[in-house]
Amino acid sequence: MNEMTIGRLLRSSTTGYVFGCSVPEPEVPLFGMFVKAPAQRGQSETMGLIYNIAIEDDAFVRQMVATPDLPEAYIQDQRLNRQVPIEVSVLAVGYRHGDSYVQGLPPQPPITLDRISACSDHEVCEFTKRLDYMQLILNAPEAPADELIAAALVRAAGCRPPEDRLRFLREAGRELARLLSRDLARLENLLRRIKP
Amino acid sequence: MALELNKLTQSVNALGENAAKRLADLNERLPAAEALLRTINGEDSELLKKIESARRFRWAGAIPSGEAVGASFPPPPHPARVNLLAADGSQIYPDRHGVAMYYLVNVGSIVFRHGLPEAPQCHSQPEVFYEDADLYEEDGGLIPGVMIDAERDIRELGELARLAQVEAAAAPTVSLVDNGLLLYISLQTPNERLIDEVIRVYLGHLDSLKQSGAAVAGVVDRPRAQSVARLLHLATLTPDEIGEDRLRDLGPFRHINDGLLFGFLRPGERSALFVNASPANLDRYQPRGHTIYFFYLNAGRPGKDSLLRVEVPEWVAQDNAKLDLVQATLLEQCHVSDGFPYVLMRAHELAVVTVAERREFDQMVIGSLIRRGLSPSLSQKAQGKQWTGSGKRQFP
Repeated sequence: MNEMTIGRLLRSSTTGYVFGCSVPEPEVPLFGMFVKAPAQRGQSETMGLIYNIAIEDDAFVRQMVATPDLPEAYIQDQRLNRQVPIEVSVLAVGYRHGDSYVQGLPPQPPITLDRISACSDHEVCEFTKRLDYMQLILNAPEAPADELIAAALVRAAGCRPPEDRLRFLREAGRELARLLSRDLARLENLLRRIKP
Repeated sequence: MALELNKLTQSVNALGENAAKRLADLNERLPAAEALLRTINGEDSELLKKIESARRFRWAGAIPSGEAVGASFPPPPHPARVNLLAADGSQIYPDRHGVAMYYLVNVGSIVFRHGLPEAPQCHSQPEVFYEDADLYEEDGGLIPGVMIDAERDIRELGELARLAQVEAAAAPTVSLVDNGLLLYISLQTPNERLIDEVIRVYLGHLDSLKQSGAAVAGVVDRPRAQSVARLLHLATLTPDEIGEDRLRDLGPFRHINDGLLFGFLRPGERSALFVNASPANLDRYQPRGHTIYFFYLNAGRPGKDSLLRVEVPEWVAQDNAKLDLVQATLLEQCHVSDGFPYVLMRAHELAVVTVAERREFDQMVIGSLIRRGLSPSLSQKAQGKQWTGSGKRQFP
């Protein structure tokens, strides 16, 4: 996947951030997508996973919802011109430190209006060589953890060459078995979700 | 809480009682007024003579245009393709207690191409005025609010004229402002030179709109005008009774506004056209070929009436195609936003200066002054208002 800017940061904390973007393109942003944002004045990059995409409303658009046969120009005006923010929530799962990636909370979050980019396939492969970030997801109360792990693993597998995908998912399954050894029902559900 | 509501309980009860009484009184008198509206003949020579007499006393009623005054006109078909242009303005008045002397006008506009699947074009253009020549009159007094309002009105219409030059070539075009087209500056200032200049520029923009081929209309929501009520009252007077005092007191038509009179319009229908008889219209607009007509339009839906007063210049009123276009497009626009044109709501949204934006702008001004070694500050009075404006502290 080529790098692309998909929005700008609205608010952040150490554990994650929310960025705003205009009308979503078909391919971005997507649930479970790996994204990155600059931090520490460009010295590092936080790595995150999109876990929620929220489209807010207001009184004006609520009133229009009931209008039958709404002509397209009104819809486009509301979508493209009015600043109804599309808010995308990201869970921080790691950061780049020099040339290597660390799986853990970043030392500093990105700041207001920082550009948020989609990670390239190469960056996703590099970051997911280790699977420690899955513990962060399981511990995140705000994110739908199982759905997010499944989506992120399938996406990370898809970034790899076809011959490596099965091996990657097997390793991820083993890591999940270790993390969820006391919750077999949940583990079974997750393994079923990532099974090729 | 600064306002001790418990001390107002009785007054509020009396207010409600008074409103109910007034409504009962109006309901008693309204049927007679409605009956007169249905029977009055707008072409009656006696009535026309009375209107001529009343005009000598600066009578501001409605002059019938030739259409039956009690008539209603059904909605015309809406074209598949039409351009809607709308502009609205807002302002920050100069504040001698603020950090610096300035005023600001912001005009928002929208180009809405009905029938094309594209997003409308939105634009907003702020301008800040701070030179002495902008802020002070010849006698050294601070520019009055009425002058800033006029500046805003001129800019709104100027923006529509600018947009119409481009858009009207592509499709039938209707331009809308959120107010009447008849400027009331002549009622707000005695300065004749100022009135002449403002109306000269304003009518120049109407010239441009006319030349572009676009229609233009001013829309007034929840109209309180009594223009037609004044006509009915005049019709009941004998020629000898016509004089300043009798014209001022509407007698049995007191408090009956045109909105009540045209309550019989069904959703989609418009009333007859009338000419606004105000001296500003007949003395200043008419000689320039822009006599302002008006009609009432029920832009609501079954179960929820929504009456608008729509003002149009004579070159729209006398052109059936343009008049139908105005009625049809207003109805379509109001259908989406439940009683008021969508594009005017959006133009307002683009123009309005919120309290937060004003605060941010003041911060920009403060920064600019500090960088030049100045020490801007609010007056102590304004500072005090900021300290106390968030509400009293509560003591147990």
